[in-house]
Amino acid sequence: MSRRGAKPTSAAKLARAPHATRFSVKQRIEHFVIMLLFILLALTGLPQEFFEAGWAQWLISRLGGIDRVRWLHRVAGILFTAGAAEHLGVIIFLALSKRIEPSMIPTKKDFTDAVVTLGHYLGLSEHEARFDRYDYRQKFEYWGLIFGGAIMVVTGLILYFPTLVTRVLPGELIPAAKVAHGSEGLLAFLIVIIWHIYNAHLSPEVFPFDASIFTGKIEVERMKRDHPLEYARLVASGKVAALEQEASAEPPGTDDDRQSP
Amino acid sequence: MALVLAITRGAAAALAPEVEGCLNCHREQTLELTLPSGESRSLFVDSQRFAGSIHGDKLSCGDCHTDIEEFPHPERTFKNVREFALAYYESCKRCHFDNYTKSLDSVHYTFLSKGDQRAPLCVDCHGAHDVASPRLPKTRISTTCARCHEQVYQRYAESVHGKALLKGANGDVPVCTDCHRSHDIEDPRTASFRLRSPEICARCHTDETVMKKYGLSTGVIQSYLTDFHGMTASFYKQEQGTPEALTAVCTDCHGVHDILAVQDPRSSVMQANVAKVCQKCHPGATESFPAAWLSHYEPSPDKAPLVYYVKLFYQIFIPFVVLGLVLQILLHLWRVVVSR
Repeated sequence: MSRRGAKPTSAAKLARAPHATRFSVKQRIEHFVIMLLFILLALTGLPQEFFEAGWAQWLISRLGGIDRVRWLHRVAGILFTAGAAEHLGVIIFLALSKRIEPSMIPTKKDFTDAVVTLGHYLGLSEHEARFDRYDYRQKFEYWGLIFGGAIMVVTGLILYFPTLVTRVLPGELIPAAKVAHGSEGLLAFLIVIIWHIYNAHLSPEVFPFDASIFTGKIEVERMKRDHPLEYARLVASGKVAALEQEASAEPPGTDDDRQSP
Repeated sequence: MALVLAITRGAAAALAPEVEGCLNCHREQTLELTLPSGESRSLFVDSQRFAGSIHGDKLSCGDCHTDIEEFPHPERTFKNVREFALAYYESCKRCHFDNYTKSLDSVHYTFLSKGDQRAPLCVDCHGAHDVASPRLPKTRISTTCARCHEQVYQRYAESVHGKALLKGANGDVPVCTDCHRSHDIEDPRTASFRLRSPEICARCHTDETVMKKYGLSTGVIQSYLTDFHGMTASFYKQEQGTPEALTAVCTDCHGVHDILAVQDPRSSVMQANVAKVCQKCHPGATESFPAAWLSHYEPSPDKAPLVYYVKLFYQIFIPFVVLGLVLQILLHLWRVVVSR
């Protein structure tokens, strides 16, 4: 566990610590945009779900009334739909044309990883699982976003165009979509508030802030700790050799500090 | 014989001596005034009717006709009969100041203040020398309004409310003033009146004892308010100014004065007719569109099973996921603490 407690003691050392690239500029932009849209959608959607509550009515009046809130929600929803379509379209195209190796696909290892990690939390195994580029928690969140997003997009469009939808489908679909949209939205909000905020901010391993999705960089030490299999692959392919040399060339004190628990 | 005399004397004694003085002339049935407009105004006062009126033993002539103190009366000129009535418009205010003040907020007064002399004055609804309790019988209220609002009255008379009142002497149903109020009658065409109208319906339709009598649900207002239209109306009501868009209130689907029982085949909310009602706001709505509204029902395995099961799924799924994640977080924190 000593490795797990390792963290830099000051921002200056963090800046000097050797880094590897974790996220491309496109991925960083995607995360930033989806973060903004998610906040906007939650801010304009949740008060509609809980419209009887005092805070919801306060928020809606602060945002300029129910019509403005609905307009904002729909615009944000359309942008979210467009962004999701672009993301999935590009990923599927690149994967099919063999230009990328998809790294978010759930594998059998993810399930055994979850069992091993939970066993470790319970004291049944010595170490938690060794992860590749994305661990099972990150995959869970990604696919939660994809499937949850798909439900939100489909039910959102049903609610947006009820007369059009009922030309071919039964009318009961509209209130069912309303229930699903509100509930799925609430679930997404709770997962982000509880799970994502914990993993990106509150977890002792990253507290107060895992900045890699914003800077695109990850400390080599953290990569070794949290994504050892990816690190091993990168070393084997020679991509991190330069970083390693840079790290060993640094003043010895820095490295010692970083290793302390 | 002596008893009959005593009663007659008793009735006559109710009239103040001053009234008897006026009646010396005004009990003459042919007494009238010819106005410059060519109209003639009868000046006859039926002493029996005045004595039987609510004011008969309380007021004397000069209490209302304050401008007339002596005989011969001071010269007054009225162009027409209406001006004659308007001259005494403020007489009631001396005693009925609260209702007079309320009437200043009414749509009737708005018209009157703009010079529309057709607008009703106190005496037009209550009568002048024969003022009686306006509520007895209840039908009197509707027929009073009908004197000017004939077409509305005809529609009301055919409605589920009107029929019960007029043919069944039912005291539970609303008459005009129950929804429109009596003295401070608001213009019902404004957005604010529209948005407040569900509250008017709710006054009776959430009353458990009254609704039970007719086998009606008291949940209709709540199911409306928790659906899209009702929620929107509630927000519009809180907003300042007039909202840009309209949203359906009770009367948009059920009708206003012509509300029919939902079982009535002619009812606008009858299954066969309801798509037409939806189309008023949702052009292009097909026959399957009305099913989007659950007709005031709560989703159940019988009514709207799809909605019911989607709801049930999330009621189980959300706590399951959230508790699972919280548990994993707590286990992780525990491991961190233990390993320190």
